[in-house]
Amino acid sequence: MRRTQEKLTLGWFLRHPLVATCILLALTIVLPYLRIGERLKLLTFLPLAHAQSDVSETPYEELSESERMQVDLKTERERNSELAAENSRLRDALNQLNELGRRDPDFAKSKLPDAVNAQVVFHGDSSGWRHSCWINRGKDAGIEEGMPVVSGRTLIGRVFMVGDSEACVQLVSDAGFACSCLIIDPDSTTDKSAERVRGILRGDGSSMPHFPRLELEDVAVGAEVVPGMHVVTNDYSGQFPLGLSVGVVREVIPQAGFLEVRIEANLDLSTLEVVQVLKHERPEIEKQALALMRKK
Amino acid sequence: MAHARTFGLRSQAPQYRWRIVAGGGLLLAIVHTMLLRRLRMGDFTPDLYSVFALYLGLFASRQGRYVPCLVLGLIRDFFSIGLLGSYGVLYSLLHKAAGRARGKLDPERIVNVFIMALIGTFLVNFGYHGMLVIGGNGIGWTRALVRCASTAAASAPLAVFAYPLMHFALDKLRVNRIGGFWNI
Repeated sequence: MRRTQEKLTLGWFLRHPLVATCILLALTIVLPYLRIGERLKLLTFLPLAHAQSDVSETPYEELSESERMQVDLKTERERNSELAAENSRLRDALNQLNELGRRDPDFAKSKLPDAVNAQVVFHGDSSGWRHSCWINRGKDAGIEEGMPVVSGRTLIGRVFMVGDSEACVQLVSDAGFACSCLIIDPDSTTDKSAERVRGILRGDGSSMPHFPRLELEDVAVGAEVVPGMHVVTNDYSGQFPLGLSVGVVREVIPQAGFLEVRIEANLDLSTLEVVQVLKHERPEIEKQALALMRKK
Repeated sequence: MAHARTFGLRSQAPQYRWRIVAGGGLLLAIVHTMLLRRLRMGDFTPDLYSVFALYLGLFASRQGRYVPCLVLGLIRDFFSIGLLGSYGVLYSLLHKAAGRARGKLDPERIVNVFIMALIGTFLVNFGYHGMLVIGGNGIGWTRALVRCASTAAASAPLAVFAYPLMHFALDKLRVNRIGGFWNI
């Protein structure tokens, strides 16, 4: 019996959606730099962004009385929330600067980059294994992929994908999140460089984002780490600025060849309303090398 | 007889298929992202998407299983930062497994529904962790096993209550049911 040969056309893929999905999945895994999945996902949020811009682009004079009141109220609310966020950020920054200044002059000196205030518009992730949220600022506000997202001076995550007026943030508790960190002893009075312990922060994808359980890996055996020590970001890789607060050491578990440090995060990630995206640019490899050489 | 019934279903146009899949998918996205996280159940957070996909796999007509399960998975993928297509592939495999399980266990019995939901949810979550591992984002197999088991334990009792409710809703919508399969 002779089988009829089917041509590989778009119609064939539509008749075999599982094959098409498998190819899409394979492309996403094999060619991650193309970010095919992310580009497609941003399309779903396009109508939302367009609808938002349509409303804002309508001339104020053409609106009815109630619509004008709504617009005014919305503007005032946005302004209030931005001012409140800025106020809280400045207070936090001042407190932490004072505190850190007493302990470690390097952190006090580290100046944070300019920030863009953003509102969290969509909490959570439909998969229990991943942790993300959507914010209402995108490329239009100068946001780029990889920029750190903070609340005050506390690290929340990084920008994962960006649309024109929206962006997706990968939270620190996500299993795919990694960041170079330092453990510092706030009460120590000895030489600061001696007490710094380095490690890699990893989210464990915990299903309890309100009490994020983070882990610091690759901490050298013999390093003096005790519960209560503070964990801050390190600018070693250039991805994050120095001195963003992450959390407090809760538990230290010796493993073969390294220490596993469990951290209690400073923030309840499920109640985030307003965040700041730091316009921090990752330095090029040559600049990074120069900075490292200067430090040595 | 069974063939005649299946043929009977095939000859009818599907009822509410895409409205149920798209509406259900979006509703579950809202429930998962906004409601379930606030309930703070930790690892015992039920996987409602998988419960719904299993329902389609067990009770939908032959044409209403494969593509709807895949689309439901894709909807879930779109609301997650994970690899696009992960849940799409997993749910289409789930419908295959559900089809085979249906031949051996009667899905109208509560105990069987419980067992199928328990195993189905566990396998979907375990498979998803496998995808995370491929992407370099795994959380460790031991921890993943515990988490999958917890999720399955939370989802299976829900399926026992949810399936009769869904039967009731489809019945109210006057969807035809022939040979135990809904014409969706």
